[in-house]
Amino acid sequence: MSRLRDPWPDHRAERLLGAVSLLVGASVIAMIAFVGVRAWPIFEHDGLSWLGPGGNLETQIANMQATSVNPPASAYHLNAWPLVYGTLLSTGIAIVLGVVVAVLSSIFIVELAPARLRGVAIPMIRLLASVPSVIYGLIAVLVLVPFVGNHLITAQEKTSVQNFAELTGAGLGVVVVTLTVMITPIMIALICEALMAAPAAWREGAVALGLNPLRAVLAVTLRAIRPAIVAAAVLATARALGEAVMIQMASGGSSYTPNLSHGPLIFLYEPLRTLASAIVDYHEGIGAPALQATLYAFGALLLFSAFVLSIAGYMIKLPLRKYQVRG
Amino acid sequence: MNRNRRLTRLRSLALAGATAGVLGVAAAPTTALATPTISISGATASYPLVSLLAAKYVKLKPHSVKFKITQGGAQIGINDVAASRVSIGDVSRDPLPTDPKGLVFYPVAKYGICVVTNSANTLSNLTPAQVVSIFTGKTRNWSQVPGATASGTIDLISRTSVAGVLTSFQTLLLEGKKVTEPLAHERPSEGLLRAEVEGDPNSIGFLSNYQAGLGKLNSVSYNGEACNRTTVQAGQYAGIARFYEVTRGPAQGFVASFISWITKSAAARKIISSQWVPVT
Repeated sequence: MSRLRDPWPDHRAERLLGAVSLLVGASVIAMIAFVGVRAWPIFEHDGLSWLGPGGNLETQIANMQATSVNPPASAYHLNAWPLVYGTLLSTGIAIVLGVVVAVLSSIFIVELAPARLRGVAIPMIRLLASVPSVIYGLIAVLVLVPFVGNHLITAQEKTSVQNFAELTGAGLGVVVVTLTVMITPIMIALICEALMAAPAAWREGAVALGLNPLRAVLAVTLRAIRPAIVAAAVLATARALGEAVMIQMASGGSSYTPNLSHGPLIFLYEPLRTLASAIVDYHEGIGAPALQATLYAFGALLLFSAFVLSIAGYMIKLPLRKYQVRG
Repeated sequence: MNRNRRLTRLRSLALAGATAGVLGVAAAPTTALATPTISISGATASYPLVSLLAAKYVKLKPHSVKFKITQGGAQIGINDVAASRVSIGDVSRDPLPTDPKGLVFYPVAKYGICVVTNSANTLSNLTPAQVVSIFTGKTRNWSQVPGATASGTIDLISRTSVAGVLTSFQTLLLEGKKVTEPLAHERPSEGLLRAEVEGDPNSIGFLSNYQAGLGKLNSVSYNGEACNRTTVQAGQYAGIARFYEVTRGPAQGFVASFISWITKSAAARKIISSQWVPVT
């Protein structure tokens, strides 16, 4: 009994913790290997050219579904460019908008807002960051999409592109706005933390040299935390890339590539589909081996992107350590 | 004081035991009871019917069997039942040559596939040629459709390329042609397609007659025949498809009893006849 009452000896606790972390590492590797093996037929048949344009993606997917159990090699042919383009486009615009909003509001919250407002704002933003994406999707599809479709898009705009795309309200603009609202709170939370961790003496020094407080923040503190801003953007990009349900609901679900030459407004109204939302749209057909390999290839691409982003985020934060600023 | 806070072996063991106990209790109801469970997955279109049938069956034969019904789509039902993940797959289209071998399809009901528009568009009838022209993207403006009260561009709303109702729609009402891609917006379930048509005055789509008859939408006649339970029963409507219960190999035991109850009993027939049409 007394043996049971003793605390864990150090060497045993170390082994236990080591085993747990190995298990986590091993399951990550196993997952990457699993997705890679399942996705392999697509890479084997097309190399990396499946990421490129050409062909009609919908016809190719329907073909994969039709060949079912024993697909010929030709069924693996794929041109996923509309999805890659849709993913880059929606994520890219949302990140640019999000960074601007997040930096400005973080400066306001940390440097300018009264302490009582700050005390309310920071917990609120943390709460916003944890709202499940399907809630945003519901608001987008039930409120934003009908509003844009019925009040903003004109009959003339609809007619001008009617032979290529349908402007119903569901499309790039609604996706970007909702995605920005989704990812900005994470960025604000991270940037606020970095701003608060930046040594006050630097900013005070700048004020002493004659800069007004706002200029001092912009010139000194903001420069010092640049790596934290990039790290926040990287984390937000990872969330935006993997967002499936909200985009599936708000994007119009059409493998169309929005075209800027139709005019900037129409461009924002045009529908799209992303890699992650395509996995949701097509998962019903996963029984067909060719389609299954395709969906895993989309997954592998997203996994690879997340991997690269995570390493990039780590490397970007390294310079912060030098100044002993937490990022 | 300090000693009390340490994680002693006794405490870790007690904690582990308590966790295992809670998990065990939570899992117990599914394993401890002897009532067999019929698990069903598949078509979103037939889900309302199958839920009603299962509820009645449990009421008539209490404690004999339990049901676990999930949706997902016809192809999910096919895949799940082929892999023995469920006892029955619900399917909203006829068997295809590409379906896995060894599945048995039991037809349980007939339903109509209706062309629907927003309730603000009181279009009453479409000819077969008009339906093909609209859904293949040749007719793009409501001004080219006589009788339509909407104006401007036609918004095509379809289902994702792997949905069972889409397959049936293309076979029965589009002369085997495909809904044009990527022009049409694709929705993954009947409910979401319905929501989009309800919200967009310029839209047109297709739904099973049960969903189309729930109101808030305009159900369009096809070739002069309205799409509802009565015309489906009379066989006048062209877009009649079937719901199937699918098993891996012939149904056996309590699954066979349930399927035979659906196809033979008066109680089941009454439920099917409420919104759908019995097969025989």
